[in-house]
Amino acid sequence: MPSLSAIICVFRVHLARLRAEAGPFLLAAIVFPVAMYLFANAVHGAAADDLRQRFLAGSIVFSLSLTAISWLGYLLLENRFTGRLKLFATLPLAPSSYVFGILLFGVAQAILGISVLITLARLLGVQMHPGLLPLSATVILTMLCFCGLSVIVAARARSFSEGSLMTDTLGAGLVLVAPVYYSPDAIPHSVRLVSQWLPTSLAAHAAQAALVGNYSLPDLIALAFMAVVSLSIGFKFMQFREN
Amino acid sequence: MITAERTIDSRPKDTASRTKAVALFVRGLVKRYRDGTEANRGIDLDVQFGELLSILGPNGAGKTTFLRQITTELLPTRGSISIFGIDPINSPREAKRKMGIMPQEAGLFETLRAREHLELFARFKGLNRAQARRSAGDVIHELELDAESSKRVGDLSGGQRRRILIGLALLGDPPLLVLDEPTTGLDPNSRRAVWSVIRKRVARGCTVVLSTHYIEEAERLSDRIAIIDEGRMIATGTLEALLARLKQSYRLTYRNSADELIVRYFGKFAEAQRYACEWQIPEYSLVRASLEDVYFELTGHRFTENESAKENECRV
Repeated sequence: MPSLSAIICVFRVHLARLRAEAGPFLLAAIVFPVAMYLFANAVHGAAADDLRQRFLAGSIVFSLSLTAISWLGYLLLENRFTGRLKLFATLPLAPSSYVFGILLFGVAQAILGISVLITLARLLGVQMHPGLLPLSATVILTMLCFCGLSVIVAARARSFSEGSLMTDTLGAGLVLVAPVYYSPDAIPHSVRLVSQWLPTSLAAHAAQAALVGNYSLPDLIALAFMAVVSLSIGFKFMQFREN
Repeated sequence: MITAERTIDSRPKDTASRTKAVALFVRGLVKRYRDGTEANRGIDLDVQFGELLSILGPNGAGKTTFLRQITTELLPTRGSISIFGIDPINSPREAKRKMGIMPQEAGLFETLRAREHLELFARFKGLNRAQARRSAGDVIHELELDAESSKRVGDLSGGQRRRILIGLALLGDPPLLVLDEPTTGLDPNSRRAVWSVIRKRVARGCTVVLSTHYIEEAERLSDRIAIIDEGRMIATGTLEALLARLKQSYRLTYRNSADELIVRYFGKFAEAQRYACEWQIPEYSLVRASLEDVYFELTGHRFTENESAKENECRV
């Protein structure tokens, strides 16, 4: 069972490195999603409010995906392949505490990125009434689900470069393949069937609803289910002991 | 005591009480990797409370595999382990609460400052903020890292980083220290500083199990020495007991006319001197046999890092 004090310790260890590596952290969480939001807006010209809300929701999901899959995946891989995981393995620490500590670090970073995105969207005149609770539920469930994916990749990768390529591909690919920045009608029927059930699609629906203060329960329930499945598999693979 | 999943436990019933009477109790430990390599082949070992035991063996002998099983990092294929009566196979976290572990290789967080690194990791061991600060301060002082405490770990030398790794194991005064080649890569001064720290811990009642491929380290530091070769524990005992196994306790070393290194053993000092005179050896070394000679006697091969010397060496 994970312990709160151990989770906070893992979080603090990773937070401490933020001081020296703030640039890449901010780049991952803020610059890419903001750029994608501005790009999507620019491509559609003077878009309607609901379309701009979709772009904003899409950018929030993109930010979460980059943070939880690409960046946290990178940290997990780095810890594993530089021998830092071995250091954690010497401690009376549950592997789940280690993962949740890193996840907490990712959530803190995601909150920063999403705050910047919402502030920017307000400055650009997007009409919205975000609900704190629906948005928090969306962010946490999406992060849990994505984090599970990055744990699986980090635990199974045979090398740092293989794992890094996988997390980068998943981080950006899952957003761009899903109907997040465009309408589902724009993709072929066979792909649509799959892409609508991607966690990024569900998260984008849930985020769009949260931006006007609503809960999208079916999406949140599906995300919760995916989070349980991905984390369960991730914890099974993430062991401090070799066989 | 509970045994490993794949254990066939044939120990007598009274061993359950014995496991609690010693700090570390190992029976029939076998580790077979997936490729069929048998790194440990049925190791038995008892380590008493407050004892310092060195595991000596050349690279690839199975020292690290053995220690990794004790520290719960590697699941044994067969056998049982008990640490203060706790089974580390089934209760790894409980066992790790009793241990300070230094792996042979591990990565540090390079952007953290040395003191900060130690303080943060002390918190993992259940110390509160004040205790963590005190423990980190003590360790920094003991390991002579005061001048480096506010430097980033990434800016420290290899030896200083190794001392930080040792320091991480010492945090929180664990009753058992398991150190895998703690002084490898350290300069002589740092090595002596580490020896001194380990001795102080033992004097305070700590049990220490360390692996080394430095014979001098095993000789100078240990209460008992366990010699491991090709996955088997081939001898265990005090230095005196191991040396007593040698029937001929004086070693004469010289080079012959073909420049081969010749090693010859004698029961008495005078015999060796007489031999050197009779054969008119111009230059030789005559010393009391050491642990290295015990190793040679037991395994038939030399425990040396100097491969070229090894190649030319002949035993007479």
